[in-house]
Amino acid sequence: MVVELNLEDFTPEEIDNDELIFGGRFDLDSIDALEIVYQVEQNFGIPMKEMNEARAAFQSINTLAAFIEARLQG
Amino acid sequence: MLYAAQETIQIDFAHRQSAHCESGVCSNLLYHYGLSISEALAFGIGSGMFFGYLPFIRINKLPLTTYRCEVGGIFKRVAKRLGCRVHWQTFRNPDKAMDALDRQLSLGIPVACRTGGYWLPYFPPAFRFHFNMHNLVVIGKEGDDYLISDPVFPDPERCSRFDLMKARFAKGALAPKGTMYYMEEAPQEVDLVPAARKGIREVCRRMLSTPGPLMGIRGIRYLSGQVRKWPKKLGQDRALLYVGQLIRMQEELGTGGAGFRFMYGAFLQEAAGVLSIPRLVNLSKVMTGVGDRWRKFAVLGGRLCKGRASADDTYDAMAALLLECADGETEVYQELLELTR
Repeated sequence: MVVELNLEDFTPEEIDNDELIFGGRFDLDSIDALEIVYQVEQNFGIPMKEMNEARAAFQSINTLAAFIEARLQG
Repeated sequence: MLYAAQETIQIDFAHRQSAHCESGVCSNLLYHYGLSISEALAFGIGSGMFFGYLPFIRINKLPLTTYRCEVGGIFKRVAKRLGCRVHWQTFRNPDKAMDALDRQLSLGIPVACRTGGYWLPYFPPAFRFHFNMHNLVVIGKEGDDYLISDPVFPDPERCSRFDLMKARFAKGALAPKGTMYYMEEAPQEVDLVPAARKGIREVCRRMLSTPGPLMGIRGIRYLSGQVRKWPKKLGQDRALLYVGQLIRMQEELGTGGAGFRFMYGAFLQEAAGVLSIPRLVNLSKVMTGVGDRWRKFAVLGGRLCKGRASADDTYDAMAALLLECADGETEVYQELLELTR
């Protein structure tokens, strides 16, 4: 996420896994959300067509990881 | 004011989150009146699918691109095709608009409103921009606060009278002018077959045969040509503003305009059962693939805007993707016309 979203002011170690992805200190917007959706699809082969689940998954790194794990196992 | 500020009204309304506001409002209102129509089905029956690049209409001083039909069109067509009677009203006076809303609420009628989403305080700042086409349903009132079923949010929200009034009378292009609408009468049973068929054929005609270069498939191809020219024609800075506007118009959170194409794909899958045309399942898959191309287009645009583009993320690449989208959609609409003849 740090690389793909070009978060120059942060390193992965500085990001708390429960920290808000949107609405917090990263200053991300819907265009960044789109990039995350795309990266999840490209890197994990998980399509995110249902935006309701995307919204829930985008709360934090942990919720996003849990979403990806659940989809990979399901 | 007709009603005391302390009045509490809470309509028993099932709030269900949806991907898009107007089709979500439509589906939720129909559900309230006993008609279980999914959001995708509402979108398809209401012929929600469209494309238009309209440089003469400016939003934030930049050209309007629309990936859906005219505002209000989905609900109007769904109501007509399912035999519902809907009351529509616009206002000049904000206080009268709020009084009219209160009157219907006091009768226990959920009322849909068109608003400028920017002014709704529950919108997270990251997703707020001026866009006067946001639909929601007012489902109650507690004191000075209105209870809102905003279909793109997971739970019902609250909004003060002042803020709701401001949102209903947002200024600028496509100003909502206090627009509100509510169901006056809904049938107990509906025949989905003619409704779905009409919905499909109207989309096909509009996308394949709308005159002029700016709308339908020709509009997508025209935009492709424009995108290719933007860096030279407008200069880098302004070209980026145009791209930013283009992809922000596509839709909110993650759908990247592909959202409507994915939704239409879901509609076609449902319509395969409704119309007993199994081939629609395949077309649903083709349309979902087109949605993926639209999403890729938006991702590339986002990278350009955010200064993280690679050597492959160029205006030419965006233009090429648009042509792929146009080709894919043409294939779907042409076959749909044949299948629903």
